[in-house]
Amino acid sequence: MIEVQHLSVSLQDKTLLADIEFQLDKGDYLVVVGPNGAGKSTLLKAMLGIIDIDQGLIRYQDQPVTDFSQRQLARLVSYVPQSSGRELPFAVEEFIKMSRYAHQHALSEWQPDDQQAVEDAMRITNTERFRDRQMSTLSGGESQRVMIAAALSQQTPIMLLDEPTSYLDPHHQVEVHQLISRLNRQLGITVVEVSHDINHAGQQGQTVLALLEGHSLWLGPGEDFLDKQLLQALYQQEFVFVPHPRSGRTIALADPL
Amino acid sequence: MTLTTRLTLMVLFCLAVLALAPFAGLGGIDDAAIREHILTQIRLPRALFAFVAGAGLALCGLVFQAMFHNPLATPFTLGVASGASFGAALTVLLGINISLLGLDAITLGAFVGALGAISFVYGISRLNYSFSTETLLLTGVATSFFFSSLILFTQYLSDVNESFRITRWLMGGLSISGYQQLLQLLPVVTLSAGIIIWLSRELNLLMAGDDIAISRGVAVKRVRYLMFFTTSMCVGAIVALCGPIGFVGMMVPHICRLIIGTDHRWLIPASLVFGGGFLILCDTLARTIIAPAELPVGVITTLLGGPFFLWLLVRHRRQTP
Repeated sequence: MIEVQHLSVSLQDKTLLADIEFQLDKGDYLVVVGPNGAGKSTLLKAMLGIIDIDQGLIRYQDQPVTDFSQRQLARLVSYVPQSSGRELPFAVEEFIKMSRYAHQHALSEWQPDDQQAVEDAMRITNTERFRDRQMSTLSGGESQRVMIAAALSQQTPIMLLDEPTSYLDPHHQVEVHQLISRLNRQLGITVVEVSHDINHAGQQGQTVLALLEGHSLWLGPGEDFLDKQLLQALYQQEFVFVPHPRSGRTIALADPL
Repeated sequence: MTLTTRLTLMVLFCLAVLALAPFAGLGGIDDAAIREHILTQIRLPRALFAFVAGAGLALCGLVFQAMFHNPLATPFTLGVASGASFGAALTVLLGINISLLGLDAITLGAFVGALGAISFVYGISRLNYSFSTETLLLTGVATSFFFSSLILFTQYLSDVNESFRITRWLMGGLSISGYQQLLQLLPVVTLSAGIIIWLSRELNLLMAGDDIAISRGVAVKRVRYLMFFTTSMCVGAIVALCGPIGFVGMMVPHICRLIIGTDHRWLIPASLVFGGGFLILCDTLARTIIAPAELPVGVITTLLGGPFFLWLLVRHRRQTP
């Protein structure tokens, strides 16, 4: 489904990504972790064709990303960007409808299947209630769900999300993560998520890619990720580990010491 | 009121302006033949020309505002009109006399100047990822100054007559417009409007930011180049024929946004129509306010536009602390 080989990206002599490699099958869930500036967002942008690749290859369904037009790519991969703080001057439904661009043509009419895709996306993300509100009036959690609804309306088999829970309170973090795993498990969408939440990354059934200064430090299953040496090397920070009182699952906590 | 109603009202308003403007300032002329001549040979083509020029200016302003995500970005604030003016002045000074696809040398010169200025400003804005509104506008101001001094230089090299003509032309006026100028401008503005209407959805997505637009499937680079080319052509043609008429491209799209909203599929036709009507109004004012003499219309639009610009700047600063 997704194949990344020897991927390198640089910007004006500065290496942002070097020799990144991984492969994902349909329905996989990859969490990309690493300290700030490690190249996580750059990886997503390279996968979307927003920035150019210097070396290596990104393939979707056995075809190099460069073979797709931007429009074709948008029917394959959707994107939930990091919250930019930019005020979007649109109503919610209007914004989600705009995301059907790749399925339309310059003068084509709005089709029933366009409306169906938008309705489905709003139903799954539970955003129907505020379809008429302006984007600028939404709370952080609502706004993030609308961004996911917009990506969902593109009806792509792959979705990339850049820190979808970073600015949310704990309740809305849980809500958004449950939403994403529903998309992954029930709809079979292949997910690549950039996250700073190591306990979220360390869950079963997910793959973790740890980036450090543009290099791939570690790649493996989520349940092996919460390792003392690995986390220490990745974040330059001591961690302690405790079992979750109910599920027994290991939880890592940064230890200020 | 639905969008259709609002747009219809705007169209009716502008048709009324277009129909009534030629009659303004006709008092004191009793000879029916002279009246008819003035109306059909002078006033009507002038009003039509003002309509087309105003529509084109509003269109280019709208595209710039969406492309740079900034209500203050227009061909005039970013120095593109100055680039076009310099291109045109230089063509006159050098006496270049070529034509291409029915466009004369001055228009081509203005087009090249506009394209040069916009490439420069855009190039600078891409040097830095965290490019702020202030830096963008300052780049525009610097570009304007640069081309203004080059225009002064061409004036210095010209004789007194030419220099005076350049000065008057730089004030932006519609007084020499007739059917011939109308026929020169109409195809360029129509073509530009057609291309921009074709790109309505792309403009909507660009408002959400480049990353979102790209991920939704917009070939942003290609679209941007096409928009640069189109607006340069349009601004170039208008500047070549009537000089730089400032601030129409800033005020009109902004007012239309308040009435119509942010969807470019509606905003583009609204701006075209209202831009046309607005410039006819300004021109009518310009030629009647100190009758029998007349002001260059650019003086009126700039007198209105200056305070408007400041108001937008203050408001914009307050919204994005």
